[in-house]
Amino acid sequence: MSEPTTVPDPNAPAGQLEGDLVRRARRGDLVAYDELVKRYQERIYATIYHMTSNHEDANDLAQEAFIKAYSALKSFKGGSSFYTWLYRIAINKTINFLKQRRNKHHISLNDLDFNAEHDPDLVSLISEKTPHRDINLSELQQKLNEALLKLSEPHRMVVVLHDVQGVSHDEIAEIVGCNVGTVRSRLFYARQQLQGFLADYIKS
Amino acid sequence: MSDKNKNFRDLKRLLKLKQHEIPPPGYFHHLSGDVIARIQAGDSGRGHSFLEQIQADSPFAAALLQLFVSRPGIVGAFTTSVCLLLLLGVLFADRSDSGVAISGSGLFTDSSASASASASVDSPTLVASADTLAPPDSGITVSTNPISSLQPVHTLFGSPQNPLFQDVSFVPARQ
Repeated sequence: MSEPTTVPDPNAPAGQLEGDLVRRARRGDLVAYDELVKRYQERIYATIYHMTSNHEDANDLAQEAFIKAYSALKSFKGGSSFYTWLYRIAINKTINFLKQRRNKHHISLNDLDFNAEHDPDLVSLISEKTPHRDINLSELQQKLNEALLKLSEPHRMVVVLHDVQGVSHDEIAEIVGCNVGTVRSRLFYARQQLQGFLADYIKS
Repeated sequence: MSDKNKNFRDLKRLLKLKQHEIPPPGYFHHLSGDVIARIQAGDSGRGHSFLEQIQADSPFAAALLQLFVSRPGIVGAFTTSVCLLLLLGVLFADRSDSGVAISGSGLFTDSSASASASASVDSPTLVASADTLAPPDSGITVSTNPISSLQPVHTLFGSPQNPLFQDVSFVPARQ
């Protein structure tokens, strides 16, 4: 039975507000948990999608990660931020799922947004760098996802978190559960691998 | 700038393409609602994997498993130790059994030797053999294990007697 919900103070700092939401959610307040889901759903979904390159799988795994997080809320001691703790659950679920798949990847890519064709970095990359000047963004997207799926899960994870989602080395180390040096070395190795796989598309 | 750094820059620019991938329109409008609905329905998600079950039931076991996964050398050392312990246990048990068997056969040897050497009219000793006790075609299995079949039985009334060895005495018929 949930306690009466309290109206959150809109002027309160976001950190305190999250703490209040977490406390309420731990007491069974689904309204509070719904708010937490809405806060992090895009980032959690994006991480899982970039790891699996499959929208349907990402949808299932994202939902299950949030469900599992809710059932495990009582074990959240507050040692790390709720976001880091949630991220860790999602990543563990994704990696377990991928290991069960055993490299049987089924790609189901999302569409590119309208801004992709106007991104100066991408435009310059296609027009100047790639020898295959007639390649379009969709084909490039396919090649990129195929190359990512060739990486092992730990290496793919650091590339997705750092190079795609902009997470810092320290945060990645905390999420993944390793030291910063390991994160850096994995990232370097993963980039080298990707560079080899995508040589035809980024070589000048 | 080295070629490698330059290429990593191009790789990073290419990876920006991933940021432009978006789910179907309206997807995030109903994701949280779906999650809450499943929680209210008591849905615990797909079957937990073995690792997830361990993590939920016993964090200590999960941490131990994680240690083994991250340090395969420890697993090898642990397995080798267990195998060595098992082997030592088997060897030790085998030696204990052999020690008892040797003392049992010694008794058997002594009794059979004394039975054959000291056979006399006055106190003939019936020496039982496996064949007389159980002829080959009788279907009866007689164990020749000196421990089980020829272990002397201690009685209250005298020296230990072997159940297969009975002292027989007879008085010749008077003529």
